[in-house]
Amino acid sequence: MKTFFILVFILLSYRCFATEQAEEIFAQLTPSLYQIKLIDKASGEKSSIGSGFQISKDGIIATNYHVISSYARHPDKYRIEYLDHNGNTGEMDLVSVDVINDLALVKRPTVSDMPYFLLSDREPIKGEQLFALGNPHDLGMIVVPGTYNGLKKESFNERIHFTGSINSGMSGGPVVNNNEKVVGINVATSGNQIGFLVPHDKLVTLFKAYNNRVQTAVEPVAKDHIEKQIAEQLFANQNKLMDALLNNTWQSKELAGKAMIPIIDVPFIRCWGDSNADKTDAIIEAVIANCSLDESTYLSSHFFTGGVEIEFRYMRAKDLSDDKFYHLYQQQISHAGPGNRAMKEDVSEYQCRHDLIMPESTINTDKVINNKTIFCTRAYKDFSGLFDVLYLSASVDKNQQGLVSHFTIAGVNQENAMAFTSKFMEAVSWK
Amino acid sequence: MEINNRVNRDNSISFEDIDKRSNKTNDTTFVDSNRINDEIIIEEISRNHKLLHRHRIKQNNINIGRDYHNDIILSDPYICPKHISLRYSQGAWLLSDNDSINGTKLENSNDKKRKNKREVKRNLSQESHQQIIHDGDIITLGKSQLRVVFKDHHVADTVAFSPFEHIIDIIRNPLAVFLSIALFMLIAAYNTYLNQPSETNISQLFVGAFSKSILFALWPICIALISHLTKNEPRILAQLGISFTFYILIWIVNLIEEVIIFNTASNPVMDIASTLLAVSMAFSLFWLNCYIGYHLSAKRRISVALCITILLFGGSYLLQYSKKPEFDPMPRYDATIMAPSYLLAPSNNVADFIEESKNLFTQASEAAQSED
Repeated sequence: MKTFFILVFILLSYRCFATEQAEEIFAQLTPSLYQIKLIDKASGEKSSIGSGFQISKDGIIATNYHVISSYARHPDKYRIEYLDHNGNTGEMDLVSVDVINDLALVKRPTVSDMPYFLLSDREPIKGEQLFALGNPHDLGMIVVPGTYNGLKKESFNERIHFTGSINSGMSGGPVVNNNEKVVGINVATSGNQIGFLVPHDKLVTLFKAYNNRVQTAVEPVAKDHIEKQIAEQLFANQNKLMDALLNNTWQSKELAGKAMIPIIDVPFIRCWGDSNADKTDAIIEAVIANCSLDESTYLSSHFFTGGVEIEFRYMRAKDLSDDKFYHLYQQQISHAGPGNRAMKEDVSEYQCRHDLIMPESTINTDKVINNKTIFCTRAYKDFSGLFDVLYLSASVDKNQQGLVSHFTIAGVNQENAMAFTSKFMEAVSWK
Repeated sequence: MEINNRVNRDNSISFEDIDKRSNKTNDTTFVDSNRINDEIIIEEISRNHKLLHRHRIKQNNINIGRDYHNDIILSDPYICPKHISLRYSQGAWLLSDNDSINGTKLENSNDKKRKNKREVKRNLSQESHQQIIHDGDIITLGKSQLRVVFKDHHVADTVAFSPFEHIIDIIRNPLAVFLSIALFMLIAAYNTYLNQPSETNISQLFVGAFSKSILFALWPICIALISHLTKNEPRILAQLGISFTFYILIWIVNLIEEVIIFNTASNPVMDIASTLLAVSMAFSLFWLNCYIGYHLSAKRRISVALCITILLFGGSYLLQYSKKPEFDPMPRYDATIMAPSYLLAPSNNVADFIEESKNLFTQASEAAQSED
């Protein structure tokens, strides 16, 4: 009983301490916190909201790219406004973006030096208490205490795993440590108490690059510099991703004991499996394995890129004629679609071709496979040289068995796409 | 008498031919004034020039009207009891109107270009009161029409049985019709079976196939009905037989097409070829439907079949076009795969496929730039 009281006391005091600290932090930092609003020029009403925080005395404010993405894509339709703790509003300029890490820098006009957030110079320690700030659902600025839980394990572009509730509208708000220094930026949530932050070093890099540019710039920035910046980042990111995919080992793995499929040995590609073994009335036995990159780059609310999906499907007829099996098999491959969302203003329509392909590596072995192969691609309109590709292949050499291999990659250049396709085609075979 | 060497393969009479000749015929009649009372043939015809009744008369004076003294009695209420009379004089037949209420028109029906409608009216002078009748002339009295032809009227050449006639004879055999419908049902049932992703029930398949065949039988039945309504022979068995034979033929052609598509790499020519094939198949079917159902001139038949084909394909194209979204985010590709026994072509290798796919990137980039 005594121990219990002590425990309760300790817990209570800890809570009190945390609350006090949160209050203190909130009070100190509030002047540098902003709500960021995108105002639709025609209607004069806000079309999206998020949070932001000042990181320099001359009015540079950091936020998420996805908060101001509509403005970045259509600068004529919107304007960016801030709302400070005193209720003052004002217009802002977009000065720099990092679409890969979902960061953006906007600038408010200033008359004198202003207080601002300091960026941390060290990473937090696992278990360290952090405070997320932001304006969820337009309810007003709040502070949420939570815990640093290291970097998200499977991410290609690093994200901090933060245990604490982050809600929409808090996007772009800072996460600070006990010393009131920024260690991350709110970016996403994955349900109860699981939040994701962009590590502060991404912001440091972006801010430094911006400062360099401002100092060295001779002439004023071009009107389309944001678009060019996005294009550069997309190209660099797809090169980095495809390098990682092409240069890591591709493990050959059995599927249903009949087929050999490649599994790319990188942590950020995660695989899942399924089969219909439990359905006794199914007339075709199917085993499915799919692997994908769980993250994608947000460009606008209807345009995502940077995703990778790979799927394999093994099928075997239970008691069917060849013709019927192939009819049903054809239905399985007739409706492949893109892995990312994109609209008319973003991409061209798909261009496709098909052929019968027998990979050389399998010829004269037991593994020999003959495929009907379909390849489609569509081009990006604003980022010339980037494509979405879709590959679909179905074996046509076994009477009662079929193997479908399929992948989609969003936002790659031609060279990387073809290198991946070529390697993939040679890697799928019968066992 | 000039010999008409223009070949008219059709059952219907080509009026233009008659006209060209009829003038000459009349010339000879005038010269040969010694000829007495020639036989004359008067045909009662319907408004669209279908023969209703034919009279062969061998007398110099012919009276036509509604009362029972006449040589030709017409029951049309717009005709007077003694409406017109025809008289043979000096080697020519003359028409005179007997002060009828509604008048009489004499027209060379075939003579569309010259449009010389000669009206025979009661209050005109004596000369124009009587009109010379030429071979093939049409007399309009009341709401009825009569065509006058002379004995030496040239008839169109005999139409030889076309090879279709023989095929149609086989096809319209009740057994053949039954077999083609049965085969159609079998194919329909088999196709449903192939596409059903679960266990199949035979009776269900055949109910589906039966309703499908009834649906497809509507077309030949409609054609037969229309030909019946237009006073043609319905020939329903022939229509059913030919239509179902064609449905089966279309299915076979589709199957062959599928095998070809499966065995070849993507080829834009293939799409055009298969569309053309479908159009020509449909055209042939409609042409045969017309051939069986109606007595039309060769030209008319082709244009009618063409019209139906254009209506069908143009209509369905328009429908597709109107439904087509402005932007299609889904890839359109050909996913035809068939069992290995249909695989005839050798396979390509990966390097070539990669090389050939490079074009797609160029095409996509061009599309992206042009749409911008």
